[in-house]
Amino acid sequence: MHDKGDFLNLRGAGHQELALQGAINHKGDFLNLLKHANYPLKIEVPPETLRHGADIEIAHSTTVVAVLYRDGVMIAGDRRATAGTSVIYDRAEKVLQIDRHSALAISGSPAIAYEIARILEHSFQYFRRSQLQELSLEGKLRMLSRLIRENLSMALQGIGGVIPIFALYDLNASEDGNGGKIFFYDALGAHFENVDFATTGSGSIWIRGVLRYLSRFGETALHEMDQRQAAMTILRLLDIASEYDAATSGYNAKVEIFPTVKTVTRIGVNTLSDDDLAAWYAEAQPNAEE
Amino acid sequence: MRDEPYRWIEAIQDRRDYIEDELRLGSPVVGVTYDEGMMLLTVSKGQRKIFEVHDRIALSAIGHPADIERLRMLVTDTASVQGFQNATEDINLHRLTNYTLAPAFKQAFEAIVGEAYIIKMLLAELGSTSGKDQFTGINFDGIVRTDPSFAVIGGTESIETGMQKYLTAAKTDTDRNLTTAFRLALETWAIGKELSSREPEETESEETQIDTTQMYKLIDTAREEGEIEVGVLETAQQGTSKFRLLTSEEIEEAL
Repeated sequence: MHDKGDFLNLRGAGHQELALQGAINHKGDFLNLLKHANYPLKIEVPPETLRHGADIEIAHSTTVVAVLYRDGVMIAGDRRATAGTSVIYDRAEKVLQIDRHSALAISGSPAIAYEIARILEHSFQYFRRSQLQELSLEGKLRMLSRLIRENLSMALQGIGGVIPIFALYDLNASEDGNGGKIFFYDALGAHFENVDFATTGSGSIWIRGVLRYLSRFGETALHEMDQRQAAMTILRLLDIASEYDAATSGYNAKVEIFPTVKTVTRIGVNTLSDDDLAAWYAEAQPNAEE
Repeated sequence: MRDEPYRWIEAIQDRRDYIEDELRLGSPVVGVTYDEGMMLLTVSKGQRKIFEVHDRIALSAIGHPADIERLRMLVTDTASVQGFQNATEDINLHRLTNYTLAPAFKQAFEAIVGEAYIIKMLLAELGSTSGKDQFTGINFDGIVRTDPSFAVIGGTESIETGMQKYLTAAKTDTDRNLTTAFRLALETWAIGKELSSREPEETESEETQIDTTQMYKLIDTAREEGEIEVGVLETAQQGTSKFRLLTSEEIEEAL
């Protein structure tokens, strides 16, 4: 009766008792709730397979970038997924909306990254529903830290490392101020606030210097750019990354595949349309004036 | 007591009377659909009474706050875990009420040596397509009742009957918008409130009619001690979560 229609869990404990305990124990902690429901948060890798870890070709590598612009944060990623030297997918979504005012850009192992994004999304919702208030900005950052740290053993084995960029809009910021926040994480789960920009993935080394240059000496400072300027900058940066990094795709004109570009502003998370990107991409090219 | 069925039935009846007595003065809850979603309305005193359970499911209840909280968490936890393990689309109200809530209600009610839940619950589910909206009420004994367009919970059955009569009469007006739905729900609430303030024998009488002026006078009085609380599930809401509480400005405007 209480098997939730889940065949794998048919022999598991009745969830009703679990949930009743939960009402006392969980305090809005979704991870804890999942543990009580016997959900495997970690993939157990048998020790004898560890030495082959380096031989396994897991899909990763990418370029994702976030920039603080006038209205908030613009966060973008290319669409290519690779395994070794093979391109296995050219429409991967690497920028994922987590809630109304936050988005996560992922680089690293997609399987773990998507799982982290999913747990994060459900955790925020669970907190809001059970505790009757939104999880605070700091609480959201801590939750992501915890998930990355839980994944440490996989990262050390070289098969499941995830390095995300987390973009949020702080609604407590003053109306005329910019509440956009960009956070960068290391493999241990420490988070650092990047004031102007952040980039990660195998292609990021080619554009980090450019971003620093633009933010320090650019004609328009990054944080003063409007949506169009910021989008054009980002499209150009991804173009550069794709030229030097085989694991990053730029704009594919043949099949009209554009990078994913999202804005995180006071209004919420918005995905820029392909039509806008096509126009801006054309404009961003050096021969656009002719 | 098991080998004495008569005493068991008697004990159950006593328990029913006791719970109904406790619930009698509870502030009723009204659920109605409108052109862009569905709404749950009540007037609450400090304690929040309308909650988000999942993407398309909202909950409200009358009864003891501790029982409401415990059962609210039961259904929220269950929906959250299942929605995560499968997909959020796989969550449906029918399963939550019939497999999770109703057995818990019934078990507590009939285990006469244990504590009973002093509660009546009303849940709303926004359908994935129009016409699939559903209200589900659960009584403290585990009896489930569903209705596609409106539902009420009040302290006693006669209070509920009086409120339903008013809603049925207004049902001809099918294209309700947020404002008209709000007013209809609020007026129905006032009827429930009025009935609950009468003596039990009086509510049985046919004279449930009160005019609009009386209703709004009653509402004004209630608002001095508490506030109107409205939760809506909106089809137009961006993202997967469709629930939100109306702001006090929106309520003021609708009044």
